[in-house]
Amino acid sequence: MVDQKTLAYINMYAVLGTLENLCALDPAAGALLKNKKPISIGFEVKGGPSATLTFKNGKCRMEQGVGDCDIKLPFGSCEKFNGLLDGTVTPIPTKGFTHIGFLLKDFQALTDLLTKYMRPDPADLEDEDFFIISTSLMFYTITVAIAQIANNDDVGIFTAKLIADGDIEMSIAGGPAATLRAKNGRMVTIKCAPENPRAVMRFSSMKLARDLFDGKVNAVASIGAGKISMKGMISMLDNLNRLLDRVALYLA
Amino acid sequence: MSFKINKYDKSRAMFDRAEKVIPSGVYGHLGPAEGCFIPVDSFPLFGEKAQGTYFWDVDGNKFIDYMCAYGPNVLGYCDEDVNAAAFEQSKTGDCTTSPSVKMVELAELLVDTVKSADWAFFAKNGGDTTTLAIMTARAATHRKKIVFINGFYHGVAPWTQKLGYPGVLEEDVANNLYINWNDFAAFEKVVAENEGEIAAYIATPYMHGNFKDNELPADGYWQKVRKLCTEKGIVLIVDDVRCGWRLDIAGSDHFYGFEADLICFCKALANGWNVSALCGKDWLKSAVSGVTYTGSYWMSAVPFAAAIACINKMKKLNVPAMFRKNALMLTDGLRAAAANNGFNLVVSGEPALFYLRIADADNNLMLHQEWVAECVKRGIFITNHHNHFMNAAMTPDDFKQTIDVAEEAFKILRKNHPEL
Repeated sequence: MVDQKTLAYINMYAVLGTLENLCALDPAAGALLKNKKPISIGFEVKGGPSATLTFKNGKCRMEQGVGDCDIKLPFGSCEKFNGLLDGTVTPIPTKGFTHIGFLLKDFQALTDLLTKYMRPDPADLEDEDFFIISTSLMFYTITVAIAQIANNDDVGIFTAKLIADGDIEMSIAGGPAATLRAKNGRMVTIKCAPENPRAVMRFSSMKLARDLFDGKVNAVASIGAGKISMKGMISMLDNLNRLLDRVALYLA
Repeated sequence: MSFKINKYDKSRAMFDRAEKVIPSGVYGHLGPAEGCFIPVDSFPLFGEKAQGTYFWDVDGNKFIDYMCAYGPNVLGYCDEDVNAAAFEQSKTGDCTTSPSVKMVELAELLVDTVKSADWAFFAKNGGDTTTLAIMTARAATHRKKIVFINGFYHGVAPWTQKLGYPGVLEEDVANNLYINWNDFAAFEKVVAENEGEIAAYIATPYMHGNFKDNELPADGYWQKVRKLCTEKGIVLIVDDVRCGWRLDIAGSDHFYGFEADLICFCKALANGWNVSALCGKDWLKSAVSGVTYTGSYWMSAVPFAAAIACINKMKKLNVPAMFRKNALMLTDGLRAAAANNGFNLVVSGEPALFYLRIADADNNLMLHQEWVAECVKRGIFITNHHNHFMNAAMTPDDFKQTIDVAEEAFKILRKNHPEL
């Protein structure tokens, strides 16, 4: 069963948070922000997450809290915030009415672009550049979602408590890498490889990663085929895979 | 000397073929994922034949096997006495409408051999018996909850798995309570918090979990557990599937000086012939009689005949004493080979089921995984995540070769890691 609070954390950090990577990877996203004054949007969810997206010099950065944002979007519940992401809720800002144009035009264009990559038309995936960006963005979304599930979802919390403290590297050969840091039963995702991982799970190619994310191949089968390599504390990876299984429940 | 490095071309080709028709190619503990084949190209994927303590893979590589098929190989693959008994029985019947008298003979032998056994109930796999033990405990006590030790493994039935595992429901594990091994205070606490609700405490004779040093019972631990279980009407279940017969022919509970209410056997029971047994105390015989539990092949006579021959031969050879002596000879040699090259090889658990780990500052097992891979490539089949098993066919020459290969593998590790 999908837990709305967990979904809100995923939507905030894993989905909206991937705008950071979109702006870094796709020149079209950077172009949307070109020659624009720095601006920030704060999302404040009652009983859920709060974070601010700052757009500056063609880049995007997400930080926790809404203390110093230009535009503030409050949501009365996790369900309402999740409605923003599925297009059923239109937010009403409580701050930043003079910046409403950015929200309606530029921010909307960015999220549309993100949707194009995250729910791609199969024909678009034929283009190699599109394929790489799309798969990389999926990778970041999924790795961040894992940590949100570990910290919020009931089953995820149980699983996360079984993970020994330390850094797990999840990476794609020739592509993106992430650190999933476990400590005292909680997890955080850092969007770069760890210096000193206790466990490593590496996908051999972008194509394999894509097929895994799309549910076309299974991780266990891919290990045997030598397409996923693993080393270190395999028990950490075993439990990480349980969390990965639940990502599909929330992001399908 | 320099040992031959194995190639696995035929294994890989067979795996590619298998993948097309078998999920994951080889699923479960014998497969590359669960078997932690790190890296996968250092390990054989399919075997061709086995004899004594050796097996040969499909590429013709020979291995001294310290996994013993994960336990069943206790006397040596294709042991002539056990196989002779099985083949003889196969001439007169195996899976038949009326069970063979071999079933009664094996039950009598178990009751006479296993100290805590008043009866025996047969099935096929270890997991069949742990599940029956839990059902019996619940039937006898009319209680739901079961106490487990963190890091446990009691098979693959849903109740033995954990929340979050594919296919496992919250309801499947809703009555599972978890405590740490050797923590009697935690057991007392969980009993107090669930007064009158706990049907059973289930544990292996010692903590032989994967990925970590194995831990023997603290002095008096089992005796305190036994006493509290008796006082509170909790069924004490010993999962002796892995250790059974290698520590003590009379049961691992006997080895540690207590008596279980229910004890589960499989693996070494019939030297690889497929039979398992739940043995128990008389007071649970009525309860287990009422449990609906059976299977198409559970009363087949051939494995019963094999088990009888196997138990008698294990008694005759006194395998527990043999395994202890041989394992100490082997592991002392492995430790010395490590020390010669500046490594600390930690050996834990009971010698007959020794667990290995190279101590490393990063505590991430990667160094150990590298060393294991170098050994396997040179024909010594060990694992990086699981305890090992002794068998009666191993000889001092096997141990010498194992230690020589280990030494070469340590030298390679030293060369590959000048930073250490």
